[in-house]
Amino acid sequence: MSPPDLKNEIHAAEVEPLLPIEKKLIGWSLGLGLVLLAVLIAVNHFVPIKL
Amino acid sequence: MSDIAVKASAPIALRARLNEDWLAVVIGLLVFGSALVSIGGTDLLGWAVTTSVYTDLAQALNPFAKAYAWLGGGGALLATYTALLVVLSIGVVTLGADVRKFALAFTAVFAIAYASWIFGSYAYVAAVTPAEQQKFGLAWSLKLTNEGGFIVALLSGLVIANFFPRLAGWLKEAIRPELYIKIAIVILGATVAVTAAGRLNLASSLLLRGAAAIVEAYLIYWAVIYYIARKWFGFSREWSVPLASGISICGVAAAIATGGAIRARPAVPILVSSLVVVFAVVEVLILPFLAQTFLWQEPLVAGAWIGLAIKTDGAAVAGGGITESLIMAKAAAEGIKYQPGWILATTTTVKIFIDIFIGIWAFILGYIWTNHIDKGPDRAKPSEIWQRFPKFILGFIFVFAVSLWLAVGSTPEIAKALPAAAGEANVFRVIFFVLTFFSIGVLSDFRKLWQQGFGKLAAVYFVSLFGFVIWVGLLISWLFFSGFKPPLVS
Repeated sequence: MSPPDLKNEIHAAEVEPLLPIEKKLIGWSLGLGLVLLAVLIAVNHFVPIKL
Repeated sequence: MSDIAVKASAPIALRARLNEDWLAVVIGLLVFGSALVSIGGTDLLGWAVTTSVYTDLAQALNPFAKAYAWLGGGGALLATYTALLVVLSIGVVTLGADVRKFALAFTAVFAIAYASWIFGSYAYVAAVTPAEQQKFGLAWSLKLTNEGGFIVALLSGLVIANFFPRLAGWLKEAIRPELYIKIAIVILGATVAVTAAGRLNLASSLLLRGAAAIVEAYLIYWAVIYYIARKWFGFSREWSVPLASGISICGVAAAIATGGAIRARPAVPILVSSLVVVFAVVEVLILPFLAQTFLWQEPLVAGAWIGLAIKTDGAAVAGGGITESLIMAKAAAEGIKYQPGWILATTTTVKIFIDIFIGIWAFILGYIWTNHIDKGPDRAKPSEIWQRFPKFILGFIFVFAVSLWLAVGSTPEIAKALPAAAGEANVFRVIFFVLTFFSIGVLSDFRKLWQQGFGKLAAVYFVSLFGFVIWVGLLISWLFFSGFKPPLVS
């Protein structure tokens, strides 16, 4: 597909609403990520870098 | 990216990527193995050219080993060029390249890139500390350190891409930043291992922190950027997945892997990759200097930050090298002499941890897409995880493991000889870094991208990167690495 077609496609494309599965993917990723980050921060606090 | 790249189908793109990865492993192992032979007393790579900071150009170049001093700087440069030309020419045959075109183009690429490196080592560019300035009799200098040569190579490539497009087209066959940086990363395993061997506790602690990078890149960054692309900018799913992957994980590899996983048209992730390269260039020109100014007292925070914020392997790892050089120079000017290698090792560890999981994330997305969104007969298979795994990382891990074993698990004589052998391999790592920087510059045709109307894509990238990724990356780096410094030179 040539670049001019893609350019027109980007600007003229119809908006696709977020599907429930996409909302789940975003929600679960973010939620799990924040929880794991909190766990890692706690581990970092109790097992600090040893020099 | 060239129009030819745009026309590549997904299976061909994947096959080429697999071959490029294995080629990088083979060449990287060839350099590493040849360097190791020196431990036994036979120096196979001592003719390789090194560049020192200079005012007199005649003093700039020398062979790495004194035993090869008879070659002189010019002879060493010629020998290095010839060796790389032969090895890479044989290698690119496996990638289906036109060897004659490659050889001609590589000659020009090597000449311009290494000339940039030599210019970057000119004392008025590179000298940093007052002692260095005094040594060379300078009243002033740009204080870029000799790794400023990377920036010069990048700028040379940018000038060619944006003002001499025909030359850029002619050089195309040898403009292979992914191949060059993958070879460099395989070789880097030796330097990282030698560095880590000196402080195993610190090294193993860094590995744990690398896990935080994975969590952040895949789960936090990706989710937020996918939402921004879909909801704020109205991009379709087909565009949003490679965009989110390119901005949050690893520009080129992740965009192509996840784009392929959701069965996007090949042109989409390849065009996203072009944008990633452009933004990586902008970041490399800015972030190391910001790190030097604001984070020189937190060197490991700086190293992790570069690994989290810059989204191509080439720019991130090489950017880590520049950051290390700049921060060590500033610290040295304050009387603090850090051991070299730790900042670069932190950047490399963070980036490699992010790369390792590309295949798994691509499979997860592929599973969701082929089972819940675009259901069809072509379902995602677990074998894709191995297919999409960046094989060059296996080379890095192998070189690292062997070097670490030689450093801590073999005889004292071998352990003592290892740093010199790693240093010899490192000469080639630096040369591949220079080639990477130059190649990235040549690929960054800002005007062409603008003409192709990718302003909307660039806007997503800008908002995500400068509004979120960079600052969250800094916060996470601070949370995990602040307060801990590299060991000092004893």
